[in-house]
Amino acid sequence: MTVALSEQDAEAARRQAPRAGLTRERLTAIRRPLTTLVVGLAAWEILARTVLTNRLFFVPPSEVALAAGRLWETGELQRHIAASFSELVYGVLLATAVGIAIGVVVGISARVRAYTEIYITALYATPLVAVTPLLILWLGIGIGSKIAVVFLTAVFPILINTIAGVRATDALLIEVAQAFCATRAQIITRVMLPSAIPFILTGIRLGIGRGIVGVVVGELFGSQAGLGYLIYTSGQTFDVPSLFVGIVTLALAGVGLTFAAELVERHALRWRRSVRVD
Amino acid sequence: MTLQAPLQAHARAAAVTVENVSMEFSSRGRQLTALENIDLAIAPGELFVIVGPSGCGKTTLLRILQGLARPTHGRTLVDGRLVAGPGTDRGFVFQQDALYPWRTVLRNVAFGLELQGVAKSTARSRAQAMIDLVGLTGFERHYPHELSGGMRQRVNLARALTIEPAILLMDEPFAALDALTRETMQHELLRIAAAAGTTVVFITHQIEEAVFLGDRVAVFASRPGRVQEIVPIELPKPRPAGVKQSPEFQMHVARIVKLIGTYESHG
Repeated sequence: MTVALSEQDAEAARRQAPRAGLTRERLTAIRRPLTTLVVGLAAWEILARTVLTNRLFFVPPSEVALAAGRLWETGELQRHIAASFSELVYGVLLATAVGIAIGVVVGISARVRAYTEIYITALYATPLVAVTPLLILWLGIGIGSKIAVVFLTAVFPILINTIAGVRATDALLIEVAQAFCATRAQIITRVMLPSAIPFILTGIRLGIGRGIVGVVVGELFGSQAGLGYLIYTSGQTFDVPSLFVGIVTLALAGVGLTFAAELVERHALRWRRSVRVD
Repeated sequence: MTLQAPLQAHARAAAVTVENVSMEFSSRGRQLTALENIDLAIAPGELFVIVGPSGCGKTTLLRILQGLARPTHGRTLVDGRLVAGPGTDRGFVFQQDALYPWRTVLRNVAFGLELQGVAKSTARSRAQAMIDLVGLTGFERHYPHELSGGMRQRVNLARALTIEPAILLMDEPFAALDALTRETMQHELLRIAAAAGTTVVFITHQIEEAVFLGDRVAVFASRPGRVQEIVPIELPKPRPAGVKQSPEFQMHVARIVKLIGTYESHG
């Protein structure tokens, strides 16, 4: 028996064309930012060699690269990166777990929301890096205080976005689950959470951004290792090339993490219709 | 049109009884009667269509049958058992955008079984059988946004059928489709319902659709929603090709148009 699919159906099937590998489009996507990067570095180099020539205050990228090489050889740079990275990862993971768990509870219960919303809004708006000195007093200058700073700065964007995502769940999709005899727990895990994922990912991305600030601020206030520590001690000893190594490494980490977040989002949201505007 | 043999001969169609059901809502301090004293007896395996103007309480009645809403008076029974809430003996086919956009066709269709805790491999093979039945073989890994409206409704239908319900409740499932796709889906529904062997309660506001699909058509009147008349459709089943152009078909349509029209000129 054959089932005739209409022309429209065939059209929908065609829309699913396989994606090509390294297309011209992808090359362009790599070439353009690379161009800006090269031009930017050249401008920086020229600026440092012609205008801002006092090496006590400003250094060209070539010297930053040399300093990075020295720090790498002694193993110091790796140690700082590892310290900062683990503070960030532990803090963000903790913030994600707590933010999603509390976000779901607050999102589904209007009563809990009524009691807690004022605190959540206030704490979201407060720059929580301000409590860093207090956390260092409580938890010492080790990794614990840094994880706490990252957690505090990252948890609220994740929490707020989870709440928004859960609340934005299409009522019809919940009703479908009810019609199929879903329990309350099943409605949360199989309807509300997946539907909130785009929101939650945005929250995590914001949380990572804030968390990086938290790491550096935490290390500036008191630490034994980390990129913030490198920046601080280099500044104290007028070692400007090493100071720039810290800053550039942070910038690279930011680019890398943003790129990774985009990959995760693209994979997690592959069910979404992608719309091009340009 | 050839009918294929039922996939699983689960001759499990159930009877539906609606006894004196009324539904009242209060909205902004005003009492609204959505349904008034509805009595229906639907036979096992019957394709029962409810047609009527918007606001006649058709959807409310279907939601009561599914257990998503409770009537203010009266009761509904499925094979003699009181309906107290949603149950897996009833499958609900929603309107177009009720698929989970983050699930593939296969996982949408397996949804009901997944909720029941059926083993993954069993759920997969049963879902696959329903996908084949509704004619979507090859589209298992597609997401809803990659499908046309007609294909999405096939998925919707397959999802409801996968839990092997004794009754299929369909709420204007083809209303959002274009005329040609709608025509195809009407033929498909007759084939699929016969293969699955379930009772079907189908809601529409389109009279031709009601006559084409129905064994009987209940004509509802609105404000308050009530059964005006139940019209038996005396046309052969399976419906022969070109039945819509036949004088018998047109006679049935004319009769229902008149019933609805009569009411409206008085109302």
